Amino acid sequence: MAGFTVENVSKVYDGDLPTVSLQHINLEVRDGEFLCILGPSGCGKSTLLELLAGLQLPTEGEIRLDGAKVQGPSRSSGVVFQDASLYPWRTISQNVGLGLELGGMRKAERQALVDKYLSMVGLQGFGSKYPHHLSGGMRQRAGIARALVSSPNILLMDEPFGAVDHLTRLQLQNDLLRIWQEERKTVVFVTHDVSEAVFLADRVVLLSPRPGRIHHIFDVSQERPRKREDARLLKIQNDIYSAIYDVKTEADLEFTI
Amino acid sequence: MKARKAKNKKMIWAGQTGLLLVILGICELLVRTETISSLYLPAPSQVFRELFKLFGDGEIWRHLYVTLAEFAVGYGLAAFGGLAVGMALVLIPWAEQFFRPYLSALMAIPKVTIVPLLALWLGIGITHKISIVFLFCFFTITVNTMTGIKQTADNHLKVAKVFEATRYQTIMKVILPSAAPTIFAGLRLSAATGLVGALFGEMLASKDGLGNILVKATSLYNTAQAFAIVALVTVVSVLIIALIDWLERSVFLKWKSS
Ligand SMILES: Nc1ncnc2c1ncn2[C@@H]1O[C@H](COP(=O)(O)OP(=O)(O)OP(=O)(O)O)[C@@H](O)[C@H]1O
Ligand SMILES: [Mg+2]
Repeated sequence: MAGFTVENVSKVYDGDLPTVSLQHINLEVRDGEFLCILGPSGCGKSTLLELLAGLQLPTEGEIRLDGAKVQGPSRSSGVVFQDASLYPWRTISQNVGLGLELGGMRKAERQALVDKYLSMVGLQGFGSKYPHHLSGGMRQRAGIARALVSSPNILLMDEPFGAVDHLTRLQLQNDLLRIWQEERKTVVFVTHDVSEAVFLADRVVLLSPRPGRIHHIFDVSQERPRKREDARLLKIQNDIYSAIYDVKTEADLEFTI
Repeated sequence: MKARKAKNKKMIWAGQTGLLLVILGICELLVRTETISSLYLPAPSQVFRELFKLFGDGEIWRHLYVTLAEFAVGYGLAAFGGLAVGMALVLIPWAEQFFRPYLSALMAIPKVTIVPLLALWLGIGITHKISIVFLFCFFTITVNTMTGIKQTADNHLKVAKVFEATRYQTIMKVILPSAAPTIFAGLRLSAATGLVGALFGEMLASKDGLGNILVKATSLYNTAQAFAIVALVTVVSVLIIALIDWLERSVFLKWKSS
């Protein structure tokens, strides 16, 4: 059991000009589902993910994880960052084992788990390399392994494949789905790529531009494995594109008025 | 292709050595023919003879030891002190904001100007030189430590937070390693100035040390010996920097070199 309840959450960043990043978000993240959060740049996707991760606290409203209020980071969520954020001074193995090390697990015990997850993400044999020896896609894999190794129930991913080339990206998506099915985790996945969202998700949450609000939630009930060129997926994609277009014109109107 | 590169390298090396020998030869000739007085420029052969003599009668070891000891203690204290103060100022809330003006004011003082005052307070023994070396090194190391810590990437800190790292773990496993390159840059920079500090102090007021015998040699117009000491000091300085580079590459920053 691992799911979030987001209740009437708003986030305002203080400053000379306070920024309303998220406004009145109500959302249920169900146990075991793959949820994608989609939205234009600056609409508060990262903010929402960090709120779920407990890295930030909402200004208003409440987030509950399995009924308990989220008040800080917890070991039941693993986070994957956009740029992998590996520590350049640690080898890949040491990076992947970071969570276990900080949790006080002994080295010998760590190694077996680290190796297991390195091969799960296809990085067997690269454990003793440093991050700068790896390609962008491989670094991203290492970032995923680092999140998985502490066996969190939930995986929170912030545009994890944003910085890799298109073909690598497709491969990483397939691998992620495989891992998700093997490990049965709840995944919240931020992206601004519509086809990526539709290919991966059970549900796609579309946020509107600043301040971020939930514009619409799309159900993608297609069986897996999915085909990228599946007509029904493409139909949903088109629906999302036209919804984005609607949102855009509304925003433009607001500007002109 | 590779063989050719290696060959070129050898050629360059041979050329450089050759040129050096030619220059030394010309100097030797100029002095031998008394075109230039040996008072101003000693013959290279004479400098070598002086070097051997210095090491031969053993006296030099004591002076070398004194200078190195002054440097090592002063530099060590500055390294630990700079690291500790730099960390404290950044990691303790408000500390930097509060102490910033004091730090800036102290840093602005040209350190050489207080060397005579230090002699007044501490005498002209080893404590005097240690404190000079310390003053010459401390601020650079402090400032570099602060800069390095502040450059810690936000995302690196978030990763630690997600894994519920304690404050101590965050400092030891994230902040310090990520600041290490900047801290080492400060350590390398101040090693050279630290040695200069020790020599300067000795030249100004002292009973022993390389700076002391250098001044003596010059005032006795023993130019050859002065040259020999300058050469020795240069070697020492290069060795110290090499030692720090080695520490950096093979102990602390293994990940950077490869
Ligand atoms: N630490 C912060 N302090 C102040 N404002 C912030 C901070 N972080 C984000 N914001 C603001 O909140 C809004 C949402 O930011 P956020 O990073 O969540 O957007 P995003 O949807 O992830 O964008 P992108 O797709 O570009 O990553 C932006 O207007 C941003 O300027
Ligand atoms: Mg973002």
